[in-house]
Amino acid sequence: MTALSNPTAGYAAAIAAFALLTSPLAIVIVLSLVVGLLMVVLFGYTSDQKAIGIAKDQLKAHLLAVRLYRDQIPVVMGSYGKILRGTGRYLKLAFKPLLYVIIPITLLMVQVDRYLGQTPIAVNAPFLLTVHTAAGEALNEAALELPPEITMTAPPVHVVAENQIVWRLSGAKDGKYALRISAGGQSVEKAVCIGGDLPRISTIRLRGKFWERMFSSAESAIPGDSPIESMSVNYPDRDISVAGYGMNWIWMFFILSMVAGFVFKELLGIQI
Amino acid sequence: MKRLLHCERRLFAGGGAHATRVLLIALIFLPALAHAYAGPGAGFAVLSSFWAIFVAFLYSFYALMTWPFRQLFRFLRRRNAYGKATFERAVILGFDGMDPELADRFMKEGRLPNLAKLRDKGTFRKLRTTFPAISPVAWSTFMTGVNPGKHNIYDFLACDRNSYLPYLSSAEIKGPKRHIKIGKYSIPFGKTEIKAMRKGTPFWHWLGDAGIFSSVIRVPVTFPPEKFQGVLLSGMCVPDLKGSQGTFCFCTTRASNDKFREGGVRVPIERKNGVCRSYVPGPDNPVKENAGEVRMEFELKPDVGSKQARFTVGSEKFTLKVGEYSEWITAEFKAGMGFTAHGICRFYLKELSPEVEVYVTPVNIDPGHPDLPISHPVTYSIYLAKLFGPYATLGLAEDTWALNEHVLDDDAFLAQAYGNHEDRERMLFDALDKTKQGLCTCVFDTTDRIQHMFWRYLEEDHPAARDVPHSEHPQVIQDLYERMDRLIGRVMEKIDEDTLLMVISDHGFKSFARCMNVNAWLHQNGYLALKEGKTESGDWFEDVDWSRTRAYTMGLNGLYLNIKGREKQGIVDPSEVEALKAELQKALNGLVDPASGAVSITGVFIADNVYRGPYTENSPDLIVGYGAGYRASWDSVMGKVTSQIFEDNIKAWSGDHCIDPRLVPGVLFSSHKFIEEKPAIVDVAPTILKLFGLALPAHFDGKPWTLATKAAAVTPAS
Repeated sequence: MTALSNPTAGYAAAIAAFALLTSPLAIVIVLSLVVGLLMVVLFGYTSDQKAIGIAKDQLKAHLLAVRLYRDQIPVVMGSYGKILRGTGRYLKLAFKPLLYVIIPITLLMVQVDRYLGQTPIAVNAPFLLTVHTAAGEALNEAALELPPEITMTAPPVHVVAENQIVWRLSGAKDGKYALRISAGGQSVEKAVCIGGDLPRISTIRLRGKFWERMFSSAESAIPGDSPIESMSVNYPDRDISVAGYGMNWIWMFFILSMVAGFVFKELLGIQI
Repeated sequence: MKRLLHCERRLFAGGGAHATRVLLIALIFLPALAHAYAGPGAGFAVLSSFWAIFVAFLYSFYALMTWPFRQLFRFLRRRNAYGKATFERAVILGFDGMDPELADRFMKEGRLPNLAKLRDKGTFRKLRTTFPAISPVAWSTFMTGVNPGKHNIYDFLACDRNSYLPYLSSAEIKGPKRHIKIGKYSIPFGKTEIKAMRKGTPFWHWLGDAGIFSSVIRVPVTFPPEKFQGVLLSGMCVPDLKGSQGTFCFCTTRASNDKFREGGVRVPIERKNGVCRSYVPGPDNPVKENAGEVRMEFELKPDVGSKQARFTVGSEKFTLKVGEYSEWITAEFKAGMGFTAHGICRFYLKELSPEVEVYVTPVNIDPGHPDLPISHPVTYSIYLAKLFGPYATLGLAEDTWALNEHVLDDDAFLAQAYGNHEDRERMLFDALDKTKQGLCTCVFDTTDRIQHMFWRYLEEDHPAARDVPHSEHPQVIQDLYERMDRLIGRVMEKIDEDTLLMVISDHGFKSFARCMNVNAWLHQNGYLALKEGKTESGDWFEDVDWSRTRAYTMGLNGLYLNIKGREKQGIVDPSEVEALKAELQKALNGLVDPASGAVSITGVFIADNVYRGPYTENSPDLIVGYGAGYRASWDSVMGKVTSQIFEDNIKAWSGDHCIDPRLVPGVLFSSHKFIEEKPAIVDVAPTILKLFGLALPAHFDGKPWTLATKAAAVTPAS
């Protein structure tokens, strides 16, 4: 399970290779093309191409029937019913290959999101470290140890109703630093990235919560006996600018990989 | 589908099943980001399917919302279309060439229970055919209700009076007039022109004008398709992708310089390192001048031990055993500059050892991507292709030439013919489901082709089957009639008492055991002269001396006079024409075959006496009616003059109907009784119009039949 949130060396190397590219836009474009191609090929190999072709043709036939027999309402309604059934059949045929496609692409995207989802904290810019504890008593015991490059810019705020403490901090120099929080006789660290182009960012460190950790954390789990439940840093979201319009990399990837997929499916003669 | 379910079950089985299931559920149901992670695959699936639903919904909504207005409009324009109709629906099944005598014989033998039921409950009559009794002529008369003088179809071929060469009588296809020249390329600019040569108005146009919908499937001479209210798939006379009426391709490693007489081309297969390479010839290159035909290359890897070969044709790969057909394969002929002709063809692996031989059907126009219109609306052929898969579109789809030339054997031909027939049946039943009111008509060619090719087995001593003992003759024609009877039974299950079911044929059938070359007779009797020193002439009158020729024959039944002022090199003075016609009629009528003593010609008909209308000038001058057992020789049809007048017909094409029309009437079966004793095919159109309560156009030659009683629904025989 840890492997899911801590990628293997090979995987990390591949991601690092992408990270060598300094432009997030370039990364998204290259990634979209590669993923578009791989997914189409994978879909082609894992699907029943003949059955999908037939299902799509049947759908088109019923669509044409609506047009050809437009003055015959029973035929139009019957064709509409067949279109719905045909769509169900088509989705059923697409389900198995989709499973093969979804799993690797999800794991890949989780990792890419570590690099492209947020920007690091700018030098001397304030940021918040939020710590959730399991019980209210731990709030009073919690203490924060900072490296010399990080300074506290305001006293911590205790939100008792939510078992939460918030520190306002600031980093003076580029780098990756560990913020140590002690509570209940134990200490736990949270990494924070200050400055840099495309560092691997983890917004939150969690105790338990496997699925949430897999999708949103790049750090190991907080020990189970720790009174601390989570530690998070509010990194700013990264917007990639295209023609003056900023958007999250996921949406850009979604659109570009679809376009690439459509192009490759035509070139490779694969039915989707 | 079973396989898919099995895979899903397998995926969810085993030790990691729970974790996998949770992971998948998590991936699918975790919010926004995870949905986006589903990536292009999911995107395609979702977008494609919802696009289909969206379009369907929009169109259904439009159709529903506008339906009352359209109905109101129609009502105001024509009142109630079915208000005076005797039946809600008419279903006409055309069984090309079904013979009344054979049908009667097989009914008496108990082979055709459903046809017998129609006979007993409704009508069974001989249906008088046209002069001549040829399918394009008779079906044109069927649909227009007029004689050939008004629809202009007298044969498959017509004669160009300037060149004495034949041309297709039903349609004229001309490429775009303008071309743009860029270097070696000459890019056509504009549309291909397809001109219908058949005149007259099919009766489904009259029905459409009255608001009555029609589904018309594969009726001959409906190419190019014309606009009307209904759907139509063109039949006989649709060309192949080369523009011919069907050119098969025979690829072989056997060295031979022989050319097929007609209908096919021989293409060499090159064998190298265990791989065989060859090609399928396509249409002439439309963008490069003098570049010849465009070709589609293919290769096969024989596995002699398992008697099969792996084919690669374009992007398609498939394996065939010896004696097996492929599915329809997409054939794309790329001419350059982005011009691609789209066709479909089937491969048949004939032999693998010691030689490799592959037969390829004529390249049909791809119905899912038609380069020429083969249906009305154009989307109808696409609709059928999407619904049922690719299907034969060529007018003469059953490759009789390949069987004649021994490229296909009997079984291979039958497999091909019945494959096409099954496609046609699927189309018919879809049309029956979609046409609950109006006209539904479908013509099946299988009956014609199989009788042409297997009549030899019906007789004891047919020249084309003398090598097979009579006791071993297969019952191909009996099986055919039984199969058609079962089809009628299935149609009966789909109809009620408000549907009129008619089964008709355009002509009957007789043996074709002896060939007669009328050109040879004309030559030997001084009506046709050859060039000095010649005793025979090649194809299309190559060695005929027109300056001394008074008469010639071309096509199946037409005899032409070489008239001064009409033919380019005419010599017969118009004042002598009537006398010459009478002279030829007298000389040919009752002509006896000296070898058998049988009458080879039982009637010679002067065109002026049998045709009337605006197009009679295009007809032959005389129609030759051969006796039973005789027909125009293969050479005579192609304008060849031989030294022999009579010869045995030893080709598989052993039955025919291009004889004296009085000897080959068609059939009429119907589910309701008509009182006419001698109905004719020309009467069908007026009868249908009358039954739908429409006025008959004045130019009709046919007379509507009178219904005796409207009977209860006919049900299939148990």
